[in-house]
Amino acid sequence: MSPKRKISLSEEDLVLALRNREKIAVEALYDMYSASLFGVISRIITDEAIAEDVLQETFVKIWHSFSGYSAEKGRLFTWMVNIARNLAIDKVRSKDFKNQSKNHELENNVTFIDEQRNTVYKPELLGIRELVSTLKPEQKSILDLVYFKGYTHVEAAEELGIPLGTIKTRLRMAIIQLRKHFNE
Amino acid sequence: MENVKAYIESGILELYVLSDTSATEKAQVEEMAAKYPEIRAEITEIEKSMELYAEEHAVEPSENLRTKVLNSLIVNLGDDNTFSKTVTRQDDDNIRTIPAARLTSFYKYAFAACLTLLLISVYGLVNLYSKLQESNTQLAALQTDNTKIANQVSLRDNELQVYRDTAFKVLKLKGTAKTPSAAMVLAWNSISKKVMVDVPSLKLPQHDEQHQYQLWALVNGKPVDMGVFDLPKADTAGVKEMKAIASAQGFAVTLEPNGGSINPTMDQMVVIGTF
Repeated sequence: MSPKRKISLSEEDLVLALRNREKIAVEALYDMYSASLFGVISRIITDEAIAEDVLQETFVKIWHSFSGYSAEKGRLFTWMVNIARNLAIDKVRSKDFKNQSKNHELENNVTFIDEQRNTVYKPELLGIRELVSTLKPEQKSILDLVYFKGYTHVEAAEELGIPLGTIKTRLRMAIIQLRKHFNE
Repeated sequence: MENVKAYIESGILELYVLSDTSATEKAQVEEMAAKYPEIRAEITEIEKSMELYAEEHAVEPSENLRTKVLNSLIVNLGDDNTFSKTVTRQDDDNIRTIPAARLTSFYKYAFAACLTLLLISVYGLVNLYSKLQESNTQLAALQTDNTKIANQVSLRDNELQVYRDTAFKVLKLKGTAKTPSAAMVLAWNSISKKVMVDVPSLKLPQHDEQHQYQLWALVNGKPVDMGVFDLPKADTAGVKEMKAIASAQGFAVTLEPNGGSINPTMDQMVVIGTF
């Protein structure tokens, strides 16, 4: 399977093709979103093999529960990233994963993610293009905790020791910053 | 409009896109979005930037995962039986082999199922046939039995007739001095002139192959031939009809050569009885 044949469709066309269960939709879906979704999953699960399993599960779930997606409620990626994030977090919580990671003493997912964060944040491990100049570090850490790790803003506030109101403001500012950056 | 702006600035829309809202808040945001296009547009903007942000952090999964994922989805496609009719793109070989393999194994199982059914049918047929044979044999045996019983019944009827009909006279013949233990019973109908020997009551000595017993009627002191009979080999029911005679004072039986004699051999008389 060579990457040169990557397929790309407009979101409307893709949604329509997925609804009609067309084969091309499956390929386009993978080519367009696998890397972005894998980026999110990799933030939660560092083990590449397990992360790839979760990515596969994500696509299977997207495919099976596609009737649950409604374009009026939001963009396709927003819906899919929720599925990917939830599956990844479920995986981290599962007994199976804890055994594989030999982290039997871990009691919940929050502490597990905390421990993991130190490793995941190493740029060389992520191997991605960072938005170095765009976000202030304190904006980025909040945004990443919530977006990539599935923290609630309440949990993020506790984690970072910052008042809830500040968290909300920083989140909004971070996203406004991103919008500016991408609209440039 | 002022409250729409305040709603946008509250930060709830960001939390909504990050799926960090309660079910109530979520429903509220969706209601607002449906009502105010500005809110809808704002949400879309937030979504787009998060999408791009994720793209910035994208990590390519390993290349072979694409095949794996597509295969697992396309197998589902086959299951759904909703393959696209327009196959304009070239398909990967390994994608095609899967439905083919499924088809082959389907025929394999279908063939195995047919074979099993055939074997079961043949076995059933053989079983049924042998049962049919058995039933036929039983039926034949029953028919024979039935005939036998019908014969016996008609014989008994005849016997009974003898005793019921007042015209019959029953005579017990007793053994002579030579054979004191011999005895037999016969019946004579003075109207129809029939003479019947009651076979089960025959108690005569066994005779050899060259001799038969001969019955005589005593008419006015003279013996009249009434025919010959053999002692039955086994227990037999029924009566034996002898020659007819209009009148007789008594009957006697002598042992005679096969076929009987014209005159009785008096010293071979075994039983005699008179009315």
